[in-house]
Amino acid sequence: MKILLTCAAILTGTLGAQEAVQQLTVPQSISNAAAANASIYKSVIRIEVASQVPDYKTPWNAGRFSDGTGTGFLIGKNQFMTNAHVVSNSRRILITMHGSSRKHPARVVHVAHDCDLALLELEDFSPFADLPYLEIGEIPQLESEVRVIGYPMGGERIAVTRGVVSRIDFLPYAHSRADSHLVVQIDAAINPGNSGGPVLQNGKVAGVAFQGLTMADNTGYIIPTPVIKRFLKDIEDGSYDSYVDLGIYDFALFNPAMRKVFNLGPNDPGVLISNVMVGGSASSVLEAGDILTALDGYSVDSSSNVTIAGERVNMNEIIERKFAGDKVKVDFIRDGKKLTKEIELKAFPSAKIFSVQYDKKPRYLIQGGLVLQPLNPNLYSAHKLNNPRVLRLFNDYLQEGLYKERKDILILTRVLDDPINSALSSYVGSAVKAINGTNITDIEQAHALLNPDTMPEFFEITLDGIDRPLILPSKGLAEANARIGTNYGVHKTNNLSN
Amino acid sequence: MKSLFTCTIALATTLSSVAAEVSDSVIRVTTTLQGYNPSQPWDKTIPRKKCALAAVLSNQQVLTTAEIVTNANFIQLESSNSEHQIPAEVVAIDYETNLALLRPKSEEGSQTLKNFTPLDVTHSAHLGDEVSIIQIEDNGMPLITEGKVRGFDVVSSFAPGHHFLNYKIKASMQSVANSFTVPVLKKGKLLGLLTSYSSKDQLANVISAEIITAFLKDAKDGDYQGFPSLGIATTSTTDVHFRDWLKLSNDKGGLYVSRVLSNSAADKAGIKKGDVLTSINGKDLDRRGYYETSGYGQLLWNHLIRGSHPVGSEIKIGVLREGKELDLTAVLARSPEGIIPSHTYGKAPRYLVKGGLIFQELTKSYLQSFGDNWSTRASPKMLDALNHPEDYEEGRKRLVFISAAIPTPATVGYESVRSAIVKEVNGQSIEDIPSLIAAFNNTPENGIHTLKLDSRLETIYLDAKLSNNVDQQLLSRGIPALSREVE
Repeated sequence: MKILLTCAAILTGTLGAQEAVQQLTVPQSISNAAAANASIYKSVIRIEVASQVPDYKTPWNAGRFSDGTGTGFLIGKNQFMTNAHVVSNSRRILITMHGSSRKHPARVVHVAHDCDLALLELEDFSPFADLPYLEIGEIPQLESEVRVIGYPMGGERIAVTRGVVSRIDFLPYAHSRADSHLVVQIDAAINPGNSGGPVLQNGKVAGVAFQGLTMADNTGYIIPTPVIKRFLKDIEDGSYDSYVDLGIYDFALFNPAMRKVFNLGPNDPGVLISNVMVGGSASSVLEAGDILTALDGYSVDSSSNVTIAGERVNMNEIIERKFAGDKVKVDFIRDGKKLTKEIELKAFPSAKIFSVQYDKKPRYLIQGGLVLQPLNPNLYSAHKLNNPRVLRLFNDYLQEGLYKERKDILILTRVLDDPINSALSSYVGSAVKAINGTNITDIEQAHALLNPDTMPEFFEITLDGIDRPLILPSKGLAEANARIGTNYGVHKTNNLSN
Repeated sequence: MKSLFTCTIALATTLSSVAAEVSDSVIRVTTTLQGYNPSQPWDKTIPRKKCALAAVLSNQQVLTTAEIVTNANFIQLESSNSEHQIPAEVVAIDYETNLALLRPKSEEGSQTLKNFTPLDVTHSAHLGDEVSIIQIEDNGMPLITEGKVRGFDVVSSFAPGHHFLNYKIKASMQSVANSFTVPVLKKGKLLGLLTSYSSKDQLANVISAEIITAFLKDAKDGDYQGFPSLGIATTSTTDVHFRDWLKLSNDKGGLYVSRVLSNSAADKAGIKKGDVLTSINGKDLDRRGYYETSGYGQLLWNHLIRGSHPVGSEIKIGVLREGKELDLTAVLARSPEGIIPSHTYGKAPRYLVKGGLIFQELTKSYLQSFGDNWSTRASPKMLDALNHPEDYEEGRKRLVFISAAIPTPATVGYESVRSAIVKEVNGQSIEDIPSLIAAFNNTPENGIHTLKLDSRLETIYLDAKLSNNVDQQLLSRGIPALSREVE
């Protein structure tokens, strides 16, 4: 069964925010508790977002205008935290205070799509100046109770639910689809509209509500405080830099023959490094076939887990808390020898090809009615690509190091039919390998190859896995481009960068 | 009213006399078919029954379609009145044309067939020919439908991708048996075998007399060769800009040769990728690959290669290379099989089970077992190999891969290792299942088999002793054999 993680955003392009009200451990009196809650409620705000979602099917068009709602909370002076997915592709953001109907215009200051967090500010903070800031706390204990506060679907006013922490795990974040971080699972429902809301324990923020599971009941996921704190630290310098990455794949050493080959006893630590990405942080230090035994002194077990503060977590937790330029100490075994080295960490931008794109205008180029777009998850789902050669290129992009020579995998996504290209529509869905004998590296280069100073008689376009070239004559091309632009309403023939 | 009634009676009389004759030339075929389970290749699937008709020929042989006897465990001929039941065997089978020649298994059966009236095969058809389609009703009565030849086409009848001359027959048929292998006669001679019928269009496809004649000729000496192939892939030259680039003048037709199989007839004749195939034996091809026949209208070029000459024939090929015309001579041959066979009818999949890892040779039928959406559900690498086998050859005869890992003590941790192509075992390159079996028989001194894979994890290991123990357990738990070396 495939379990789908869904962002808790209100559909029609909305986001859901969930907030947890602080649980009063020993209420002194009911009225005290009510007063405390009321002040917390004030700091939990409703976010209305109007967005413009790019259309990867027709990238020259403006896209789809939609709207949605989510939740956010005040964490500092004019600093409202919410989920990245609440404010993705936003064009207008309005914030509403609990108990008020006035809408205050706001804007995004920082957004981190890889960990689904964003920081907003109001154009005029003064109406909110007296409200208390919610303090970021610690990871809640298993089985402890938390409160979720927010503005989920089913009504206009603030809603509060309670739940118990059911699991602490390292899981994929649905927003980017390509990043995994620490996650806390609770048994309170997280519904569309809850997204971005605080989850509270002992009066402090224990997490941000962000996603649920479509095929299971009573499973809500929250972004725990280590991830929040890392985000806040990352933006201290004024910009968000994203996570760093070791740039390795590992393989769990369960198999007895594997353990024997690597001379490991039943209780010996260590996980197999199966691949090391060229250009990644570890590339000059680790090699495929090394056994990684410890990270920063934390012993790594056979399935790449470490124990931090009594909790068994994925070893990536150690990397997760670090920043670009930080170092990590690696203990590993190579050819039976124990080695210790340091790795300076950096981000691995090539892996972003697997991340869903937000806040960006789709890149494309059109020549002679052939629409070329670089491959990413947005394109993949918009065009329902199913050419096995394209799937293989996508799957092998990191593992086989394709990113070194082929930063963009350009796909022929559409043929705008015209006499200049009338016989080519059956090749839609293939990847472009070369133009006039030069291999494609990225969209800028492809654009230059298709628009040279001196036009060749023919453009010969080679597709991956197709045994004949596609031919575009340069004679009549300019006229065809003008005709295609008018007929198909393409006002701009390319967007090469975002 | 009365005259009409008389007329009907008279017609019925004629029909019954025709019927009596044809029922002596047509016989029922019932078969029990059993294939192999693609994911557990040691198992056969649940048997299925098929029944159809066959035409009785001379020498006590009968002709039916290949699809009726593909993977058949049991074949029986049965006269229309069910009086005679004759166990039969295959003399020659051709999955590409969809033809099979059968004979009785016993002398007694042959004697029985001698009481039938053998059919001669006619030479050809003409547009408008009146034909009789022969079916047998459940009660044994022949049902004869009159039809007319409406056209000619080069189509695939059973094995996908293999195109041969078929006749199009217009007729209004009724569904009698549950299968469409039905003899079609013209003036008392066999014109062809009807393999499909569209009730909407009232059109039937009939395997042509030309193809049947060639098949029977080939089968005569008991050493069946099969139909030749040139071994090229082509695309049309209808795209005007493509034509300009190829320097094809407007009066030229021809097909662009997009791929040439190595060691094929085309390869040996010197045809190269990028050539434009313009004529075959003096017949000019148009931009879609059709040529003008005398009598059959326009036919696809394949018929000139596959349907007109036997293996070993020399044919003249006209190509255009870089604007220059060349005349080449090809000696027709069977197409080289390549690392992924175009079909696996009548063959048992080769496999090896080692320690619980299941190794197989990649076939299209394996990938098709992923269901209706197999072309998107199967592993992209396997699908890519199917589409571009030439990119995976690397000295292989077949593409050996791990299809699954049965959970055993030897495969702990290997649950995710599947659809991985096997490159080497114990240092030996793997070219097919027999070479894999041989490689595993060389147990290294440390008692651990080393497997090199084309996957994210490049090397895995199997404990030899543990694997052998596991294999014995698998045998005792009902897997009948750990390997199959012969297809």
